[in-house]
Amino acid sequence: MSIRDLLWQLPSVGMAWRNLGRSRVRTALATLGIIIGVVAIASLGMAGVAIQQQATSNLGGIADEVTIRSGTDSTTDGVTQEQVDRIRDVAGDATVIPEKTNSTTLTARDGSERFVSVTGLTRASTLYEVSSGDNPDRLRSGALLTNSTARQLGLEIGDPVEYDGQLYRIRGLIESGGGGFGGGSELVLPLSALRDQNYYDSVTIVASDGDEAQRISDAVETRFNEGDEEILSVTSFASIQENVGSFLDTLNLALLGIGSISLIVASVAILNVMLMSTIERRGEIGVLRAVGIRRGEVLRMILAEAAFLGIIGGFVGAALSLGVGLVAFEVLAGDATLVFGWASVRYLLLGFGFAVVASLLSGLYPAWKAANDPPVEALRS
Amino acid sequence: MSTSVIELDGVVKRYQSGEETIEALKGVDFTANRGEMVTVIGPSGSGKSTMLNMIGLLDTPSEGSVHLDGRDVTDFSEDELTEERRSGIGFVFQAFHLLPMLTATENVELPSMWDTDVDRRDRAIDLLGRVGLSDRLSHTPDQLSGGQQQRVAIARALINEPDILLADEPTGNLDQDTGATILDELTRLKEEEDIAIVAVTHDEQLVEYADREVNLVDGEIGE
Repeated sequence: MSIRDLLWQLPSVGMAWRNLGRSRVRTALATLGIIIGVVAIASLGMAGVAIQQQATSNLGGIADEVTIRSGTDSTTDGVTQEQVDRIRDVAGDATVIPEKTNSTTLTARDGSERFVSVTGLTRASTLYEVSSGDNPDRLRSGALLTNSTARQLGLEIGDPVEYDGQLYRIRGLIESGGGGFGGGSELVLPLSALRDQNYYDSVTIVASDGDEAQRISDAVETRFNEGDEEILSVTSFASIQENVGSFLDTLNLALLGIGSISLIVASVAILNVMLMSTIERRGEIGVLRAVGIRRGEVLRMILAEAAFLGIIGGFVGAALSLGVGLVAFEVLAGDATLVFGWASVRYLLLGFGFAVVASLLSGLYPAWKAANDPPVEALRS
Repeated sequence: MSTSVIELDGVVKRYQSGEETIEALKGVDFTANRGEMVTVIGPSGSGKSTMLNMIGLLDTPSEGSVHLDGRDVTDFSEDELTEERRSGIGFVFQAFHLLPMLTATENVELPSMWDTDVDRRDRAIDLLGRVGLSDRLSHTPDQLSGGQQQRVAIARALINEPDILLADEPTGNLDQDTGATILDELTRLKEEEDIAIVAVTHDEQLVEYADREVNLVDGEIGE
């Protein structure tokens, strides 16, 4: 069975196809309108996704972290050991890293001095990445120092640094700002080096992902802070990511809104084209009705014409949008193949679906009008 | 008397035209039987087309009744009338009214296109053969002469095996000779298919082929 025969299995569709073929220029122009609308919706939507993915990957790892400090209503000047234990209960499998911080001045061999912030913690490897030397899972002795500071002071791995009258051997060099808000110069020491300080200055929780971080953050909040009271101040970067995300969602919606306007314009154009073509064919439709073609059949035939415009326009539009999407993802996210992810592919489907629905809606009135035209009147014209 | 296929009984048709009411038919009685060709003649404006619309169930009377095959169809809804036209009535128009984007065969199939009737294609080809167009099956109307187009239209009118064939000036757009072949065709089909043919015309030639003629003057049947 040929495609032609298959087409005529559905007479409405076959008739619609022939009718569209009669005025190719008009059909092409109506389709072009739809194509532009689909490209506007789909490519703006996909560009939004590309921006979103790029922003998310920039925020990256810090979204998994929750930082807890002593709040304004706390009776202690820091986070107590007892609070840390309770935080560990709440955090479950997530890694809990209590830190004590201070500052000191390091002196180089040549006598020059450098002000550094001091962080005391055990699980250095979770928060810091070393660029040279080693990075023990549990820092019990020795120190980590920022790369640039070491260079300025002429220090190398194995050299001693002094803090609070004690000497610590440099075991690894870290990139500046490697974790938390260490800033430019940071000296990382075992927790025991800061044993004079009773309280922890901050507790960092590293969760498996942003959602888990958000959950822990909420749990700590409800466990420790009642009402407006702030015993512990909880900072979750997940919420920042969420805020950025919801901003980008809004941006995306605005882009889609702009895109939809062009599709609405296109569907008005289709309404016009369908109306013109049914008025032109009034006598012909009268003949159809006279020879016994039912109203519903005439209606389906004209709706099928509108659907064809939508399907062809939607398909070509989606194909062009895919091209636009490839470029957008290459430029914004650096990886063109990300366009095939569901987040962006759904905009192709949305654009296509929107095109078909808009075309059908536009065809509804002309189809209804043609189907209900009394055959006597139509034949007379 | 043979069975009447269509019967108009005291049919009155009024139109509202602006402020005034026009009475196009003023109580018309008419019957047509199987195997009979009846011509309706009369000057323009006499109500011929209106009468044909009544017989063809394209319009409903203001008064009086219409019977098709003995059934009263006067108060049928538009959808019911469509079904009757589909199954029982064939139309041939002065301007042929073939669909330009369809081939001759597809035009003949048109009235039954939406039926799930598998052999309609064969019947269409057979009908085209009987009106002498076996070699024009895939031609579109613009590739056919006026006479050929009218023969396609006749084949189309017969696809649903109607009881009655209505022709509105069937030879009006054709020259004398072509008109004659069309009328020969209709006469032959009338006998072969045992159908009633009602033709509206000015054409003297057509009247010669008719078994009976009806004169319509000013909305009334005259003698």
